[in-house]
Amino acid sequence: MSKVRSVGEEVWKHKTDKINSELLTLTYGSIVAQLVADFDHDYAKVNKQLDKMGYNIGLRLIEELLAKTGLPRCQNFRDTAEAVAKVGFKMFMNITPTISNWSVDSKQFSLVFTENPLAEFVELPDKPNARDLWYSNIYAGVIRGALEMVQLQVEAEFVSDAVQDPSLPTEIRVRLVKVLEDEIPPGED
Amino acid sequence: MIYSFWMYDRHCECIYSRDWHRSAAHEDKEDLQKLIYGSVFSLRNITRKLSDDDAFLSFQTSKYKLHFFESPSNLKLVLITDPMMSDACNALRQIYAGLYVEYVVKNPLSPIEHPRGTGVDNDLFNMGLDSFVRSLQGFA
Repeated sequence: MSKVRSVGEEVWKHKTDKINSELLTLTYGSIVAQLVADFDHDYAKVNKQLDKMGYNIGLRLIEELLAKTGLPRCQNFRDTAEAVAKVGFKMFMNITPTISNWSVDSKQFSLVFTENPLAEFVELPDKPNARDLWYSNIYAGVIRGALEMVQLQVEAEFVSDAVQDPSLPTEIRVRLVKVLEDEIPPGED
Repeated sequence: MIYSFWMYDRHCECIYSRDWHRSAAHEDKEDLQKLIYGSVFSLRNITRKLSDDDAFLSFQTSKYKLHFFESPSNLKLVLITDPMMSDACNALRQIYAGLYVEYVVKNPLSPIEHPRGTGVDNDLFNMGLDSFVRSLQGFA
């Protein structure tokens, strides 16, 4: 599937408006910090809110991806994984996470990040429960929202994050729940 | 001659429509809108059954021609023209990528889900669509 990779590279090079990555890092950081303050260090709620924000972003980002790449519908979930990692993450974040740990039924895979622009300069607060925070959880929401628009209902969640423990990789697990049927128009009354 | 343009979202909801050269035949717009969706929906399903993941591009009668484009996110765009018009699928694709995505999807104030049938209501999209369609060969 080197074709998918070159589509991602091409779009990144010629069709994407770019911003300073530190601006993004700092903006995202202040959003997370604000959420932590708003929810009074209830990290489960922060995670949930980040996921929801990501979901709403994903619903829109997918259209930009489709419009700019003209990619056809994926034939199977493996193609989808390739498109998420090599086109989606490439064109919006300029990173390409590695796809690994496929389950036997090809319905689950992991995205492993060697670099993560959102988490540059990040140190978690020195609180005992700070490890409950999935700092970059917005990714999980984006993946869920974007794939729902192409009729794939998935669950996406962090398994480990280098921000929490530098000895672990940053890993998101994506599970295909089901392929959504096309909605049909309501019948005539 | 271009008669009208219709756009349907993934929930089968008509989220935009526009007439240019109105033919006397459409009086009941809501009815027409449902009929267009129904015919496009069935034709596209037949096409997909007959050959894998394919979509039909247009069909025509002696009086008009219907052009169709669908994005992988199930947004359906329909253009109705006179039968002489050459294929407009590319034009529909441009409307999707250049106008809908640019002005509606990327505009955070513009909803992309329309639960109560409010539809797309966005000046930039309106104006962009109008001037784009008017610039197409065979508009008048």
